[in-house]
Amino acid sequence: MSCKDNAKLLDGYLDGELDLPAALALEDHLQSCGQCKAALERLRALRSALRRHAVLEAAPDALRKRVAAQFAPRRRGGLGWGWGLALATPGMMALVLVAWLVLAGTQPPAAGPATRIVYHISSTATARDALRNLGNHLNATPHAKVIVVAHNEGVNFLLRGARDASGEAFEPAVESFIGRGVEFRVCFNTLERRGLGGGQVIPAAKLVPSGIAEIGRLQTEEGYAYMRL
Amino acid sequence: MLDEAKRGRFERLVLPHLDAAYGLARWLMRDTTQAEDAVQEAYLRAYRFFGTFRGEDARPWILGVVRNACYSLLARERRAGPPAQAFDEEVHGEEALAAGTVVRFPVDPEAAAIQRAEREQLQACLSALPGEYREAIVLRELHGCSYREIAQIVDVPIGTVMSRLARARKLLQRSLSAQMQDRGTGT
Repeated sequence: MSCKDNAKLLDGYLDGELDLPAALALEDHLQSCGQCKAALERLRALRSALRRHAVLEAAPDALRKRVAAQFAPRRRGGLGWGWGLALATPGMMALVLVAWLVLAGTQPPAAGPATRIVYHISSTATARDALRNLGNHLNATPHAKVIVVAHNEGVNFLLRGARDASGEAFEPAVESFIGRGVEFRVCFNTLERRGLGGGQVIPAAKLVPSGIAEIGRLQTEEGYAYMRL
Repeated sequence: MLDEAKRGRFERLVLPHLDAAYGLARWLMRDTTQAEDAVQEAYLRAYRFFGTFRGEDARPWILGVVRNACYSLLARERRAGPPAQAFDEEVHGEEALAAGTVVRFPVDPEAAAIQRAEREQLQACLSALPGEYREAIVLRELHGCSYREIAQIVDVPIGTVMSRLARARKLLQRSLSAQMQDRGTGT
């Protein structure tokens, strides 16, 4: 086989798409051909540069909501949750949050079913703020059941050894919240997409197949209210 | 109730691939707003044709629908037909592409130089690849699709996938090394 023929096979070899005899024959050739070997090196270098630098951008939350809303079940003829979310601007959500915090702060804890809230964390930058809010939240309504679902960049603070911008570790705070009944769930899709394994997540957090599906499920099946932080 | 079942299945099999779908659209459209529009449209179409989907792995299937939506959106915009052949100078940046076409670039960059490629340079080069090569690289390297899956998504034979990928990588190597040289000589 000539080098020219082999050069065409290098890509297939790199991609693991050659059948066994072809791959073995090419490996034999690579032993003795510096040129093809160098070409393969360059392909490998290109691949690693691509994987490091060219990324798949995650869907923006606005789009996620728009799409989810298209398929959201309609409830009793009214608007589904999805529609509500799609219509809610961040400003509105903030208002609702503020109003709710004010009410929660001024009224005695109500008896009856506990408040159930799912916190959606999708960025590293807001993780520390989210935990502070969570602390305030639990101080105001100690019986609230909170599940934190981390997804996209939001999973970072639940990785082993994660620290915030000021160098403070996240894990102790997370563990203390777990001690107060909070659950942390990490999107496995996100991990896979980023080439991370479940082992890189702190043991106290649980994995769910899809963060988004989990958030949807908690809202529609378990009556959780949604809060984006 | 049938509708409910369809919706549930769609939610379970197709919605989770929204990030992959948007990631592809983002590279094909090279614009966030357009990428969002394409994805939304793709999901609507996908739902309409969901009855034709068989199996459990909907990822290549939805990526195919997304790709389609992207190209029809682009075609609607520029009457010039498939965007694949168009070489977009605007995105590529004047200094990098002063020579006009990729083929005139100096050949064979060193592996080490490619490894040093800055994010910006690499993204510019990938972004400037003609669509048929860009999509092959994005699907293979970023989505991790197999040749078979790419063939299904792009709707071409597997042999074509292989030769497009090989060509795409050559073009990328050349334009990257051209960029490096530009930077290196301190323009």
